Amino acid sequence: MTALRRWFTRLSEWRRRRDVERDQAEELQSHFDHLMDDHIHRGLSPAEAQRQANLELGGLDQARALARDARGFRPLEALIADSRLALRQLRKTPAFTLAAVVTLALGVGANTAIFSVVDAVMLRPLPYTDPERVVVLWEEISESLSGPGAAGAPIEPRRIEVAPANYLDYQARVRSFESLAAYASLGRNLTGDGTPERVVVEEVTASYFQVLGVSPSRGRAFLEAENTAGNERVAIISHGLWRQRYGADVDIVGRVIQLDDRSHEVVGVMPADFTGPSPAQQLDPVSVWLPIVFEAEVLGNRMEHIVSVIGRLAPGVTLDTAQRELTAVSEAIGREFPSSETTRAATELLRRDQVSTVRRMLIVLLAAVGLVLLLACVNVAGLLMVRAVGRQREIAIRYALGASRARVLCEHLVQSLMLAGLGGVVGLALGASITRLLVRLAPATIPHIQTAGLDLRVVTFTGIVIVLTALAFGLWPAWHASHTDPIDALKAHDRPAAGGWVLKRRSGLLIAEVAVSTVVLIGAALMIKSLVTLTRVDLGFDPSHVVAASVVLPPTTYPIPGDQLRFFEQLESRLRQEPGVRNVAFGNRLPLRGNWISGMIIDPIDAADAPLQERPTMREAGFQAVNPSYFETMGMSVRAGRGLLPGDVTGSDAVAVVNETFGRLLDGGSPIGRRIRRGPSAPAITIVGIVSDIRRTGRANNEGLRAADVVPQVYLAAAQTHLYPLPLRDVAVKVEATAVGSVQAAIERIVTELDPNQPVTAARSLEATLALGSANNRFQTALFIIFGGVAFGLALVGVYGVVAYGVSQRTAEIALRMALGATRGLVLRDVIGRYARLVTLGVGAGLIGAYLASGLVADLLFEIEPTEPTMYVAVGIVLVASGAAAAGLAARRATRVDPMLALK
Amino acid sequence: MSDRTDVLQGTLALMILKTLDSLGPQHGYGIARRIEQVSHDALKLNQGTLYPALVKLEQQGWIRAKWGISGNNRKAKFYALTPRGHKQLAAEEDKWARVALVVGRFLTPADGDPS
Repeated sequence: MTALRRWFTRLSEWRRRRDVERDQAEELQSHFDHLMDDHIHRGLSPAEAQRQANLELGGLDQARALARDARGFRPLEALIADSRLALRQLRKTPAFTLAAVVTLALGVGANTAIFSVVDAVMLRPLPYTDPERVVVLWEEISESLSGPGAAGAPIEPRRIEVAPANYLDYQARVRSFESLAAYASLGRNLTGDGTPERVVVEEVTASYFQVLGVSPSRGRAFLEAENTAGNERVAIISHGLWRQRYGADVDIVGRVIQLDDRSHEVVGVMPADFTGPSPAQQLDPVSVWLPIVFEAEVLGNRMEHIVSVIGRLAPGVTLDTAQRELTAVSEAIGREFPSSETTRAATELLRRDQVSTVRRMLIVLLAAVGLVLLLACVNVAGLLMVRAVGRQREIAIRYALGASRARVLCEHLVQSLMLAGLGGVVGLALGASITRLLVRLAPATIPHIQTAGLDLRVVTFTGIVIVLTALAFGLWPAWHASHTDPIDALKAHDRPAAGGWVLKRRSGLLIAEVAVSTVVLIGAALMIKSLVTLTRVDLGFDPSHVVAASVVLPPTTYPIPGDQLRFFEQLESRLRQEPGVRNVAFGNRLPLRGNWISGMIIDPIDAADAPLQERPTMREAGFQAVNPSYFETMGMSVRAGRGLLPGDVTGSDAVAVVNETFGRLLDGGSPIGRRIRRGPSAPAITIVGIVSDIRRTGRANNEGLRAADVVPQVYLAAAQTHLYPLPLRDVAVKVEATAVGSVQAAIERIVTELDPNQPVTAARSLEATLALGSANNRFQTALFIIFGGVAFGLALVGVYGVVAYGVSQRTAEIALRMALGATRGLVLRDVIGRYARLVTLGVGAGLIGAYLASGLVADLLFEIEPTEPTMYVAVGIVLVASGAAAAGLAARRATRVDPMLALK
Repeated sequence: MSDRTDVLQGTLALMILKTLDSLGPQHGYGIARRIEQVSHDALKLNQGTLYPALVKLEQQGWIRAKWGISGNNRKAKFYALTPRGHKQLAAEEDKWARVALVVGRFLTPADGDPS
């Protein structure tokens, strides 16, 4: 208490310190006068009395200083004096200040930006109630019907969705979950009240909103009874849809909306900031939620993996416990209902699951910007050291006058803090703009990144970074400056004594600097190589100038497959009349727009009906129904037999064309003439041709680490509608380079003319869709190029600085050598040789560091090893060469000196 | 100077508080004179010792200062005990008496314990 009170008093006294000091002076004067009075009283003359009083009391100034100290002004005053001194010195050397501030701003800015992204994506809690208890649940399957894997390698368990029957069992049996919810995403045509619109719909169980702990901001959530047939005609709409389509109608609850020509009564509106847990929501936000109804047919088949499942852990239950219980239950279900496949259930926290694909990338980026900041610190530390040498005499004099070591140390640290503060403020502003840029460039595959920005958390982080930065680059120079030996410093009268010391230290810094930038540059080189490798993967089809769109015809309006076919045939012939159109393809699933994998039976007889084996084989392949001009539109070629022809219609022979990889499914022999069927009682389809392979899902596989596999593929004739159950929905148009925009508009126009209630969705070029697939790679590569460039620049500036300083210390020596006959070339070679050794040491250390850290980036690279030697060699050569060049540039100045001048 | 005792910090505070208690409000010079008299000139306080101690006591809220006119008809700053200062003095006196008793026993062991 008393201590606290003293501090308050001190503070208030300090604020009116001028009054207080005058007061003090008067009091001391009064004391002196009283003493003099006493002496006079005892009979001394006034002059003698004053002399005596002076003698007795000692210096008035000293007494005043002691009293001031007691008031506790000292530390505060010292701090202010130090700050003034530091500021004055920074102003006196604008070049140094600017260099240091810019360097630090780069480092702090990069860190602020990446941290704000990391914070938004990984650290901030999800916008649900108790988000750390929300989990995702999925099933894993180990079988594959697409033929034996390469060299019979064991098949990795594949993550699939959950079978509704299993979901109900998990819900009933697993105690670790407070509640579970199932949902499935689909599209619906929203008609009435304006232009028809294709909207993303999620069918959900009533528990969906309880699991997330979010309720509609208007109206109510679903009731459990609404998950049964006959009661499901209700809907909850998103805040966005409510505002855009219904003008934020306050009477929306109770209104009836039309989805695929079925009416649903709106019972609720979700809050504005609500986003569901599905990863796809980042790309296509859900507009409408409907109650899900499990049909008896679906519940009877545990191989129908069609729903996503989320859950809420019961209070106090850990994820591990839940996983153990879930495993036990799913094994029990497997024993009770034996089937041809074995599934296992797995669970993970929603937060971790959502960021699992980008987590590694963000951590590596954070490490990269951390290294950039380290480089900035090393550079500024180097600059400060040179300054410290320049100030040695001044510091020595201060010591001689009685300054304390703590005081000198403190003054240097205050200066560092000031530099870091300046750099930090500029860096914060820079970071804000980098963050905005990142958010704009970031691929939609990074969840929550849109919310990244400067907030209190980010500013606090930056503040901490600034203080740490100041200590990192300031402590060492400050410590050494405060350990200046006054005698030595003053003895060396015309040149700083510790130049050699600084050189030695700066050589160490140079090695560290080059090493750090080597690591960052190798990261950048690997990313570039990986991106180049990725873009060089042969797709097998030509995506250039192909505009694609989806037209999903509702089965309610187009109940007969022939109706859909007629619609698309009309669309095709109308499109062919548009200017700039070269070719038109349509089908039920075009490349990059999903896939249709189906089982099939391959008849055990050859083309001449001769039996090949006892039993038919069951296999799995991708299926697609396409029009005859599909192959040409996609730039594919017929390798054997024939393609699909206009004559392949319902009523003529059932035919199919397969890709080259399909041959893998057969035990030898040509596929042509073989017969397949999609079920035991389905019609036999004769294979009539082979077309070239394509990577229909894009260049990279799901993890983005290897080229996508080509799977066996069967192409059916779209006009043989009795052979396939999936609706036609995608159209692709090959156009002249100049007609991309106009054809995109033409598709919408013609579709509206054909059916005014029919929306068009996802109209974009195949190239744009492809770009989405490599978005993560391009994003991380772009960032690494930027950070690598900054690191490279900082390192070169650092090398230049060290060499320039070293050479300036040796001006006299060099001048002497040149006066004695050394040529410029010789001197230059000597200087460069000396520093090239340091640079090489640094590169060597960096290469080893990069090799050790290479495991970190392994998951971010496409088809190249993180230890790829060519990249290491290339980066090593570039750094050694440019390091030597920077050294040479700095050294050239030294050789220009006039020996006469330098020696004087 | 050599035969004069250094004033222990804390002890000086007690002496100042006691002086103000017995003399009433007093200025710095008066306090110094009084302490010198009471100690029979064994203690000599210079300004550098006295005034920092006064500042500290004032900051602790045990004494309060006010400008006034001294007996010599000079302007002087008068210090007076605050209620908290009175309490502090009582506590200090009590503590000091106990310390003096214990130390006294140590220094005169021959008297023995009354047990």
